[in-house]
Amino acid sequence: MSQTIIKQHIPRDDLLTSGHLACPGCAAPIAMNLVLKALGPETMVVLPACCWSIIAGPWPQSSLRVPLYHTAFETAAAVASGIKAGLQSRGDTETTVIAWAGDGGTFDIGLQALSGAAERNEDFIYFCYDNEAYMNTGIQRSSATPWGAWTTTTPTSDPEHQPKKDIMAIMAAHRIPYAATASVAYPVDLVQKVEKARTIRGTRFIHILAPCPPGWKTQNDETIDLARMAVERRIFPLLEVENGGDWRFTVDHPGGPVEPYLRRQARFGHLSDEQVEHIQREVNARWKILSNRVKYGT
Amino acid sequence: MSERDVTRPRESGRQIPPVAISETSTLVNQTGSWKYIMPRYQDGVAPCNAGCPVGIDIEGYMYLIGRGRLQDAADLLVRENPMPAVTGRVCHHPCEDSCNRASMDEAVAIHSVERRLGDMILAAPPPPAPERTRTETVAVIGSGPAGLSCACFLARFGYGVTVFEAAPEAGGMLRLGIPEYRLPRAILDRQIERIEAEGIEIRISTCIGTDVPWAVLNGFGAVFVAPGAHMGKDSRIEGAEGLPEIRPGLDFLKEVNAGGRPDLGDHVIVVGGGNTAMDCARSALRLGADATVLYRRTPREMPAIPQEARETKEEGVEFEFLATPTAVELEDGEFVGITCQRMELGPPDDSGRRRPVPIEGDVFSMKADTVLTAIGEDCDLSFLPDEVRTNWGLVEVEALGESTSAPVFAGGDAVDMPRSVADALGAGKRAAIGIDHFLRQKAGEDVGEVPLDDLRFAGGNVSAMRYAKDEDPIPREAPVNDVVTWDQMNPHHYRSAPRHEDHFHAGIDLRSAFGETNFGLSRKEAIEEAERCLNCGVCNRCELCLIFCPDMAISRREDGGFEIDMRYCKGCGLCAAECPRGAIVMTREGI
Amino acid sequence: MKKVMIGNHAVSWGVLRSRVEVISAYPITPQTQIVEALSDMVADGSLPARYIKVESEHSAMAACIGASVTGTRTFTATSSQGLALMHEMLHWAAGGRHPVVMANVNRAMAPGWNIWTDQNDSLSQRDTGWIQLYCETNQEVFDTTIQAFKLAETVDLPVMLLLDAFFLSHTSEPVDVTDQADVDRFLSRREAAYKMDTKDPHAFGALVRPDVYTEIRWQQQEAMDEARDVFRRVEDDWEAITGRRYGAVEAYRTEDADLLLVTSGTITSTARHVVDERRAGGDKVGLIKVKMFRPFPTDELRALLGGVDRVAVLDRNISPGHGGIFAEEIRSALYDVPPEDRPILFGYVLGLGGRDVTPVVIDDIIENTRTKARPEREDLWVGVEL
Repeated sequence: MSQTIIKQHIPRDDLLTSGHLACPGCAAPIAMNLVLKALGPETMVVLPACCWSIIAGPWPQSSLRVPLYHTAFETAAAVASGIKAGLQSRGDTETTVIAWAGDGGTFDIGLQALSGAAERNEDFIYFCYDNEAYMNTGIQRSSATPWGAWTTTTPTSDPEHQPKKDIMAIMAAHRIPYAATASVAYPVDLVQKVEKARTIRGTRFIHILAPCPPGWKTQNDETIDLARMAVERRIFPLLEVENGGDWRFTVDHPGGPVEPYLRRQARFGHLSDEQVEHIQREVNARWKILSNRVKYGT
Repeated sequence: MSERDVTRPRESGRQIPPVAISETSTLVNQTGSWKYIMPRYQDGVAPCNAGCPVGIDIEGYMYLIGRGRLQDAADLLVRENPMPAVTGRVCHHPCEDSCNRASMDEAVAIHSVERRLGDMILAAPPPPAPERTRTETVAVIGSGPAGLSCACFLARFGYGVTVFEAAPEAGGMLRLGIPEYRLPRAILDRQIERIEAEGIEIRISTCIGTDVPWAVLNGFGAVFVAPGAHMGKDSRIEGAEGLPEIRPGLDFLKEVNAGGRPDLGDHVIVVGGGNTAMDCARSALRLGADATVLYRRTPREMPAIPQEARETKEEGVEFEFLATPTAVELEDGEFVGITCQRMELGPPDDSGRRRPVPIEGDVFSMKADTVLTAIGEDCDLSFLPDEVRTNWGLVEVEALGESTSAPVFAGGDAVDMPRSVADALGAGKRAAIGIDHFLRQKAGEDVGEVPLDDLRFAGGNVSAMRYAKDEDPIPREAPVNDVVTWDQMNPHHYRSAPRHEDHFHAGIDLRSAFGETNFGLSRKEAIEEAERCLNCGVCNRCELCLIFCPDMAISRREDGGFEIDMRYCKGCGLCAAECPRGAIVMTREGI
Repeated sequence: MKKVMIGNHAVSWGVLRSRVEVISAYPITPQTQIVEALSDMVADGSLPARYIKVESEHSAMAACIGASVTGTRTFTATSSQGLALMHEMLHWAAGGRHPVVMANVNRAMAPGWNIWTDQNDSLSQRDTGWIQLYCETNQEVFDTTIQAFKLAETVDLPVMLLLDAFFLSHTSEPVDVTDQADVDRFLSRREAAYKMDTKDPHAFGALVRPDVYTEIRWQQQEAMDEARDVFRRVEDDWEAITGRRYGAVEAYRTEDADLLLVTSGTITSTARHVVDERRAGGDKVGLIKVKMFRPFPTDELRALLGGVDRVAVLDRNISPGHGGIFAEEIRSALYDVPPEDRPILFGYVLGLGGRDVTPVVIDDIIENTRTKARPEREDLWVGVEL
């Protein structure tokens, strides 16, 4: 077949119902659905403040077919630790506990709890779905916002100054058993990583790129293509790191210029050619760093 | 206590729990109300189907091969093309020129797959003949591709058919004009036998107008005229008349294809740039001569199939472009060669190609033992009654081959350009439909108009299956008759793979054999090539739409297709954007 | 079994006896001995609990909430800055109706750093919806710890038990450590009404609109109201097993008093001593100990203080911009007492940052209360020397 058929690798049952409140074309429910399919119904979800707090539906609704605890912004990893401990104390060692947080609740306000839990090697899977800003509150910058991007707190007259925080290096430094990046455009890779993570005990971290049409200022139907382009062009490489030291890429990254990826997002619309070149150099440099990690470990 | 006491808690029946614990799913939110545009499964027509002059569901048989259903693929192919073993070898394959895959890496080698299927069909026992369900018998004049095609489809529609062939063997240009090394006699014979076995009587050596008067045809329900074009145009080389060394290329080919092996001397010049010229040149080589093709325009304007021209060149034929012969040259009364006029390209003529214009005073000589002229063919339509009008030497017809005189239809080289085996086959099929419709109307049946546009594969030729309302072996979802173009496809879901090229006979001395040199592809390679087909516009149930739908609005139907729940679909368009083959469209209809 | 132990260890023993299942705590002076002893108990297997050594108090409360929502019995301990850091999650525990029990060692708030006792830390949290129980002795600490679980799990509200830094936390007193079997008769395994369960999945705590939020808070208030009676019944049950009870409010030698002291925490012990001395001298002075601050014992205090001439409330705390917090709340409770029954109320602010409240000070307070016609201001600060 000239097309690689992937449906046999994606579990059939949905653990997410329609009628949720995500914006049209949002990657976050695609990610959640794939993750829950891979984990199955013996799963509990901890959900701090983020877009998903709204997507899940207001009381008395829930779009998840598994138990869900809405919690305060910075507490996902701590609450997950507590839930796991509670389950274990009553003899349940099999239910998978996951935290499902946005980039704000992971890279910024939630980083302390995440670091604490990771250092203790708490037994849950932490998922960060990353749309690269505080989208739920109206597109404010976070430390996951890429350099040069417009957000409401980094206007085009003075766009984002800082490069995206290297959360994978941070998680690797904790020497947790498993950390990985994933993209909604590579569903089989994502599902396989989740299925693998499920079999590991200890803290597992999966960072999923989730393009956001209103926040990135793109069309609703471009989400998968952007998530694909980001991987292909090495802006968001897909990799795994085990025990903090063994890095590997999990798909091919053919490369190619970052400019087309940037130019189709109006949040980068103000960039000059020099700024685009700067981003290209930074992507190239970071790719080299990652390649060295893959080659030599950390 | 006052009714308006705001401080007394009231029982509202809402039953609010002590904590915000969920009670329902989000299915109560019909988020479908958000959308301003919506998706629809809509299969379209693959460009190969639209580009095929015969009207074959090429994409359909590729689909079936991809699923291991080779016999079903062969059945589908032969249902629309009565002679796939022939076309797989000699067709100029405009399907490949239309193939969307060419925008990704290389076009699918459709001709190679067709040939494999065609040979497979010939190797298997023939199917039972179609049932004779109609009383009428139709007369077909000419057993070339147009005549045989028309005859075959009429037989399948249930008619009796008698084919009148002037030559001693059936096949028309297939036998007379195309050399054996391109189309082996054995293949042609077996293919014609197959067609005959569908219930067709072929009367060879029976020329209408000479052996049999036209009036005899009045006893038939209808007549399909497909005499072809066999009269080579006059080269108008000064002094050529009467000279045996200057012959029409078609006559030469007829001789060689009938088994003759004339001595052409050492050097042959072939005048012309079409397939006949190529065939003459390559046949000349095989008879031991050197050959040079003389063509008045440049390679870009040559009407020959590019693959043919390439093979001709590879076999060692020389080409002289922008030259045309003007006069013979004699030495001591003996023919030694021709005078040629150098040409240049001027403004375009009616065909759209730039006119060759002589360069004043620029003439040169070329030595030759034989000159073969292949600059086009004319038709002999003298046998036609006056009521059947002709125009510029071609029969005037309507869309389904209807001539100006009711029961007479026409098609093939005698009707129009371009002239190709595929166009002739297609014309024969159209005429069969026209004749069937005509006869049913005459018999008093309530048939209405032929829905010509619906029968066509988008802008291409008609489908006999659609006309006969046969069951489509491929499940299609709300099909529309529009071509699916490359920009509607999503190439990211396809793997790149190189095209399998035909295997050629290596190492034989071409000059001594008329055997087939192109062996095509092995069975495995042909299947792999069929698997390179992208299945443009036809859902293959890959389920990417389900996987990428953010709202889980797509579900599987019992019958294997898919259904979009419009109560929840927000119209984001990701399904349509990601569908690899453009089988989902976004529309505002019904919003 | 009687043991001599510091107040912190009384908490630890209470937690052990209560068969707590998940502990999540972060160290802070002067709470550390609570969690250290618990670590030992967990390590040697006498307490088969999961112990999450979190990286901050905010996470400690978050983890307790997580464990609680799976239906298990959870505990944490903190003090001062730690309690303040937990503030957001205190609201969460109460609003989420999670019966977490926390021991807070009352310690002064920084800056400047101060590890000694006052009550500003816990009283700053009085609006978070936690039940607050102030203890006077290590025995009371032990007893209250165990009672707290039963109370919390009956009304589904979190309970904070308070003990003074150093005066209780680090002071050894004899404690009768009730047998496990007896405690088991009093307190059984927690069976939660609402919990996370994959066999019956729900979402907890989703967005709640204005048309519903009030009703959820109303039910939380109803639970607080119920807690008064439930506490009474809990004490009945505990008394039946151990013979001990404390009451939400204790009246000490108040029968014919014309002046009542109102205290909480360890000041109460000192005040008892002063009352005894004064009574010996014929002075009709009595003492009200407030144990339960939330829910506020409005009815009991109205009954006990209504009709008394003068009341002196001793606040080891201050709400800047207003006055001592117990005094303010008592004044407010007395507002609806008929005017002729309303005592003249002197609110004294003292003992902040661990400054010792000696018998002499209390004696001076009684004098001041007797001799002044009315208090010059809402908050009468004792012993300020600039």
